[in-house]
Amino acid sequence: MTRHTEPGATVISPRRLIQQNAVRKLSTWIANPWGRPRFLALITWAYILVSIAPVIVAIQFSFNDGRSVTSWQGFNLTRWYWGDPDHSVWHNPALQHTLLQSLKLAGLDILIATPLGVLLALGLARWRGFAANASNFIMLFPLVTPELVMGLALSLVFLHVFTFIEPSTTAQVLGHVTFSLSYVVIIVRGRLFSIGRQYEEAAADLGATPAQALRLVVLPLLLPAILASMMMVFAISIDDFVISQWLSCGASCDTVPIRIYSATRTSSFPSINALAAIMVFLTLSAFGAAYLVQRLMTRGERKSRRGMAKGMFDL
Amino acid sequence: MSGGDVELIDLAKSFGRMRAVDGINLHIPGGEFFSLLGSSGCGKTTTLRMIAGFEQPTGGMILLDGADMTGMPPHRRPVNTVFQSYALFPHLNVFDNVAFGLRRAKIESGEVKRRVNEALALVQLTEFERRRPSQMSGGQQQRVALARALVLKPAVLLLDEPLGALDARLRKQLQLELKTLQQQVGITFVYVTHDQEEALTMSDRIAIMSEGHIEQVASPQEMYEAPATIFVADFLGVSNLMTAKALGKDEKGRCRIRLGQFDLVAGQGEVKGGDTKATIRPERVRLEPHGTPGQNRIPGMVERWVYLGNSVQLIVRLETGDTVQALLQNSGDEIPYRAGTPVQVHLPPEALRVLADTGARLALETAEQEDL
Repeated sequence: MTRHTEPGATVISPRRLIQQNAVRKLSTWIANPWGRPRFLALITWAYILVSIAPVIVAIQFSFNDGRSVTSWQGFNLTRWYWGDPDHSVWHNPALQHTLLQSLKLAGLDILIATPLGVLLALGLARWRGFAANASNFIMLFPLVTPELVMGLALSLVFLHVFTFIEPSTTAQVLGHVTFSLSYVVIIVRGRLFSIGRQYEEAAADLGATPAQALRLVVLPLLLPAILASMMMVFAISIDDFVISQWLSCGASCDTVPIRIYSATRTSSFPSINALAAIMVFLTLSAFGAAYLVQRLMTRGERKSRRGMAKGMFDL
Repeated sequence: MSGGDVELIDLAKSFGRMRAVDGINLHIPGGEFFSLLGSSGCGKTTTLRMIAGFEQPTGGMILLDGADMTGMPPHRRPVNTVFQSYALFPHLNVFDNVAFGLRRAKIESGEVKRRVNEALALVQLTEFERRRPSQMSGGQQQRVALARALVLKPAVLLLDEPLGALDARLRKQLQLELKTLQQQVGITFVYVTHDQEEALTMSDRIAIMSEGHIEQVASPQEMYEAPATIFVADFLGVSNLMTAKALGKDEKGRCRIRLGQFDLVAGQGEVKGGDTKATIRPERVRLEPHGTPGQNRIPGMVERWVYLGNSVQLIVRLETGDTVQALLQNSGDEIPYRAGTPVQVHLPPEALRVLADTGARLALETAEQEDL
């Protein structure tokens, strides 16, 4: 940019000029309307750093070469995972059991909630009228109800209505299914709406019975959404504290989050951090896998019709 | 192959209060290329979907070769559809898409392979069998959709605006190909379109629909030359519609009409008397130097002069207040009628048609209302 020195204007010293140029350069680097949105990027990265810092610190202490969870005593990759013969996640039976309990709940949740949710979504997408609208609305209840209330309600139901179900793993699984079903329905129904009825009609037109149309056309097209919702269910279930706690039968029903919570109130070893790190890793990989599956399976559609691939990541 | 003779008897469909199809009667003989033409919302697609079985009629019957199909679910009907959006299965490649129907019919795999290849050869897509629909252009996808429907050798092929999503050049080309294909396979085609030119180019017969009923069923030529209603005259191409009064017959049995202060003779159409509409195609209007004497001549003034390449379009305001469009062939000679020139407009009796003024909503008005 050239500077015109108007007659009568104060002449700016060369040093000021350099300073001014530097300031201008910086300000245009941050906020240039034609350039990249660097200001937004700065804020975003700052946010990510702040929000992820506690997680990083927690994971860092799972690699502590000492028994403290507060003071850093050097790095040891394996000690609290499987190195320590008494207190590591692998060798402590209680910790091992909670990890297995969490995985068991999540696995059963996936196995029960996913097929139920898919069928419910199919039904709700086809069903018209007042009852259908009401059901659609009720589906949202578990999402908007505070989890604490949900957990309390579930425990009351098992205490007074379905008295044959004791607080147990079974009760916990039922609680998780109740809670995660809505997510499956919402994800699958979104996909159903975006693929529309045309493929089903085409299948029927070509001689497929309704059952064949479902098996050969609708389900394959729903597969990305189904896989995505499976991952979602896994992530929700493995993360859940409140409902698992309400329906817990005691120590043998403890899940990882419950264990971590109680451990923080007593003196604990960094193996708790190791347990937490494993959780973070499992949840992250569930989401990552869901994302990859979604990308891979809707690749063809995105190429032909931009914005048509709908699923959990653009709900 | 069965005959593919389709008969609709008092066929009706209501969506709530709205009567989408209002009791239509149609007979489509086997092997005919039949078009349902109309602006959107006229009930043509609903009619097609009822023949396919996707919609349950609220009244009437659908007969195929004399057999009642009204209550038969779509997967048992011997008709196939080419959808507007093609609806090719995105998770299957071209071969599996085309083979889908054959496999449902439990045809053994060697035969499936032979017939799929035959169908793909018919639409010139032999090299593409391993491609996914998403890897093909719109025109190619359209051909796959055709092959997928034709491979089942249906008695009737239903086409729901199959060329609607393609660009103009490709559409022209595929129009001709579709017509050739239909003559080749000899199947009844029921073709839904809103494009009058498309319908005129391809069809053996056309039904023009408006607000759930059929205005006229005729061959393209008859439809264009002898429209039965004002709606048809207006919908098919530009027609000059002028309000006139019928005065009775002349000695040759032609209709005498009064247009403003001018007495004219209309050689086409018949009306009882009273209010009527006179219509003439733009290409039949003659322009002569101002003051030329003779029958059926009205003085006017050229308002606009539009060069269209192969022809010149002139908008002329008549002394009666009506506006008439004239289309003059571009023969290379200078056309002396620039804007502002007074001319004599000759409406030859053999080209001038009278139509009863039914007060029907016209295509143009309908289209405008839909835009709102």
